[in-house]
Amino acid sequence: MNTTKTVNYEKLAAQLDSVKADVKSKLGEQDAKYIRRVIVCQRVFEWSGRILLMLGFIQPVLWLVGVLSLATAKILDNMEIGHNVMHGQYDWMNDKYINSRSYEWDIACDGASWNRVHNYEHHTYTNIIGKDRDFGYGLLRLSNDFRWRIKNLWQFVTYLLLSVLFQWGVSYHEMAAERVFFGKKKDDRDYKVSHSELKKRFFSKGARQLVKDYLLFPMLAGPLFLWVLTGNLAANLLRNLWTSTIIFCGHFTGEVETFNQQDCENESQGQWYYRQALGSSNIKGGNLFHVMTGHLSYQIEHHLFPDLPAKRYREIAPKVQAIFKEHGIHYNTGGFFRQYFSVVKRIVRYSFP
Amino acid sequence: MRALLNSLSKHLLHHQSWNGYWEPVVQCFKPGWREGYFRAQVKHVQVFAEQSIELIIEPEKAWPVHQAGQHIALTIQTNGRLLTRVFTIASEPQLARQQRQIRLLIRSQEIGAFTSKLTNLRTGQWLNISEPKGQFVMPNTARSLIMLAGGSGITPFIAMLKSIPADSKQTITLLYYAKPNSHWLKDELEQLKQSLRNFDYHLLERSKDGDATTWLTTNAHKHWLVCGPAALYKQAAALAKQLNTPIDSEHFSAVPAAVVTSDKHELTLTHQGKTFTIDNQQTLLTHLQANKQPVTVGCGMGICHQCQCVKKQGIVRDIRTGELSDSSEQLIQLCISQPVSDVELSA
Repeated sequence: MNTTKTVNYEKLAAQLDSVKADVKSKLGEQDAKYIRRVIVCQRVFEWSGRILLMLGFIQPVLWLVGVLSLATAKILDNMEIGHNVMHGQYDWMNDKYINSRSYEWDIACDGASWNRVHNYEHHTYTNIIGKDRDFGYGLLRLSNDFRWRIKNLWQFVTYLLLSVLFQWGVSYHEMAAERVFFGKKKDDRDYKVSHSELKKRFFSKGARQLVKDYLLFPMLAGPLFLWVLTGNLAANLLRNLWTSTIIFCGHFTGEVETFNQQDCENESQGQWYYRQALGSSNIKGGNLFHVMTGHLSYQIEHHLFPDLPAKRYREIAPKVQAIFKEHGIHYNTGGFFRQYFSVVKRIVRYSFP
Repeated sequence: MRALLNSLSKHLLHHQSWNGYWEPVVQCFKPGWREGYFRAQVKHVQVFAEQSIELIIEPEKAWPVHQAGQHIALTIQTNGRLLTRVFTIASEPQLARQQRQIRLLIRSQEIGAFTSKLTNLRTGQWLNISEPKGQFVMPNTARSLIMLAGGSGITPFIAMLKSIPADSKQTITLLYYAKPNSHWLKDELEQLKQSLRNFDYHLLERSKDGDATTWLTTNAHKHWLVCGPAALYKQAAALAKQLNTPIDSEHFSAVPAAVVTSDKHELTLTHQGKTFTIDNQQTLLTHLQANKQPVTVGCGMGICHQCQCVKKQGIVRDIRTGELSDSSEQLIQLCISQPVSDVELSA
């Protein structure tokens, strides 16, 4: 951890804990109504999209609107609903379906596998090299913590490909595929789920998605098979590009720091908060933009309080920023293009030794 | 049909249930609509002096009418949270059939979040109920009956008494124990005595009248029905065994007493059908691991939700905030939950 700066970790923890407690005491009807309303919107976008895709044969513009509508539905499902519900943000509602155990999302990655790797490895060990496999996803070299290899030379192309196929990237990655398929083992790791179980989930969820998007839904359209197939393909592509871009902007901007395993041994709550703060970056934007990113545009707040209902990050952000300022901690935020440019620069910079 | 829709939903909509997928949409048109529950509308809420709340609700048409003595699970949404409790229906099936109304009588002194929320219910509001459940109904016998009620255990007997025809030949005696000045529905019992030819009742207090032993032993030839706290039931059951008397019963343990104290004391924990004795000092996760139960372990600090499981009943405390849980079914994280009462976890 950065040793040049001395942060009063106890005070930091107390302040952030009180921000959290304050929001927790306010959670209630408003939040429950909100998430149900987002689900209703998602259903409306999904079905308008699916119907419009088929009407493409009358007027191709309708197909285009359908693609946009379906992509919006998938983005809402993956980000504002799926990601957040699976984080347990709405578990307090006691709803049979809106909770982290039963939610499943419209993406190739199996929800339970994601929940395990993402919530456990990524959120507990954020940006600790060797523990948080999300840092660079084992594909990209994004800091000097990794040895330079020849394949890093073309990692910008790798990044573009990853964005295009992001749902498969996430799925393959969250299963820890390199371990499951190629037997790379880390002895200190405690395996929560057996490899064969992970493999089964990868293939069954992945296959289900392929069959659904490229066979069942097109077949239901009968003679309009191709309109629906290409529409689904385009909607998935848009969703992949969007989610990948938002996630990269939240984690791999130029100033995001990395940590060593020694840094986090016997870490206090305050030190954990501090690491979360330096490991994420925010994107500025309007409310609609925030909803479409699943409020991951508030990546810092999300990493500090992963299980608070995400819409609440909006009201927390100014308080968090003020606390950071008091402790001299950098609050990494900026407009979309600034943050995205910073990501691109980082990917390109570490392409070279 | 339903299985087909659910299978379609699983394959096309990545949702385990077709109705569940549409639930938030349907709720826009039918407030309170929930898959797997019946809807009911609040008709009347009244708070009585004898620490009871009377709730009259109108179940939707599809609700299968109860038999007198049965109970339902009542689910209300309060400040965004769904809470469920079980209550015996305190009205006769005829009322449900003719006027589509059922009545619940609820003790209002219960600690915990639920009953205080009931008083906030407004007429016209929607809530959810389960189908009627339970085997505690009028026995199929010509023998005379002894009904032994303790406290709010009077409710199934009211439903039964109101359901029998006025000219019934069966002799029925009700022994109703309650704390001084807290007998419910005295007027209704008096009316029943007037209208039913062979019915009589006695309002009893333990401190004044002693326990039920004498009453029961002198009526050993009758069929006993018992509803009340566990202690009352245990005593009656032991006597029935001794005297070889037929007995039907329904007993409830009061909401588990939450003892918020740092002093060490013993509790029980039920997990996957096995029961362990634990203390209130450590988290549930620590106890389960100590007892070598298979549990998924994650960060151990309440972040990752890997150790989450369903608590069927019991009260736990969040060790981070000190917040106490509700006593009914909820999702909890084992690593940050400290038992405060006896706890039962689902398999």
